[in-house]
Amino acid sequence: MSVLFEVSLLTFLIVCAIMVAFIKDMMAAIVIFASYSLVMAMLWQMLDAPDIAITEAAVGAGLTTILFIGAIKKTGRAKK
Amino acid sequence: MIEDNDIILKQAARVLTPFILIYGIYITFHGHLTPGGGFSGGTVIASSLILNRISSGNRGSGPEIDRMMGIASIALVCYGLIKAMGTFFPDFTHRVLPRGIPGDLLSGGAILPLNIAVGFVVACVMYIFFCLIGEEA
Repeated sequence: MSVLFEVSLLTFLIVCAIMVAFIKDMMAAIVIFASYSLVMAMLWQMLDAPDIAITEAAVGAGLTTILFIGAIKKTGRAKK
Repeated sequence: MIEDNDIILKQAARVLTPFILIYGIYITFHGHLTPGGGFSGGTVIASSLILNRISSGNRGSGPEIDRMMGIASIALVCYGLIKAMGTFFPDFTHRVLPRGIPGDLLSGGAILPLNIAVGFVVACVMYIFFCLIGEEA
């Protein structure tokens, strides 16, 4: 069960990482990147690294998302 | 950024902000006992401050940034002084900041003050980043 859960999380992680590079809408890319960080935090916790998990959840899913949203608010949402 | 009639967002942020702040302070103060530490706690504190700023629609950023920069500089100087004191005068440091019993909150010598200083620096710098990016051009 745990192995199945981990494999599904890793699959979701890879799909997210590929989708971020290929998606056209910048806001959707930011949301997918935040979900990538959340899954990555869960994986850090499963790998027995809880302090890295806290940092990943706070920085990756929280502050990076806010800074990216502030950045695309100034530069424009659509790609090309 | 936020309209004045957005009452659900404002009230939810008003309820959530103190809990996030307390959680960040907890992570910072228990850095030598549990996972976490100055950096993690500082980012959580900064996210609560940023949530408060976004939800209140506050846009003035001139004196606030200066004050935050002052706090970050003072905390950075304190970090350097404590670290230098622990490096060059270890006996004196252990008399002022005793090691204590393992597991107590006030133990671990200079690690607790160092964590608090790092927490201040990280929280203030993250908040300054957000103020600089989020302000109207």
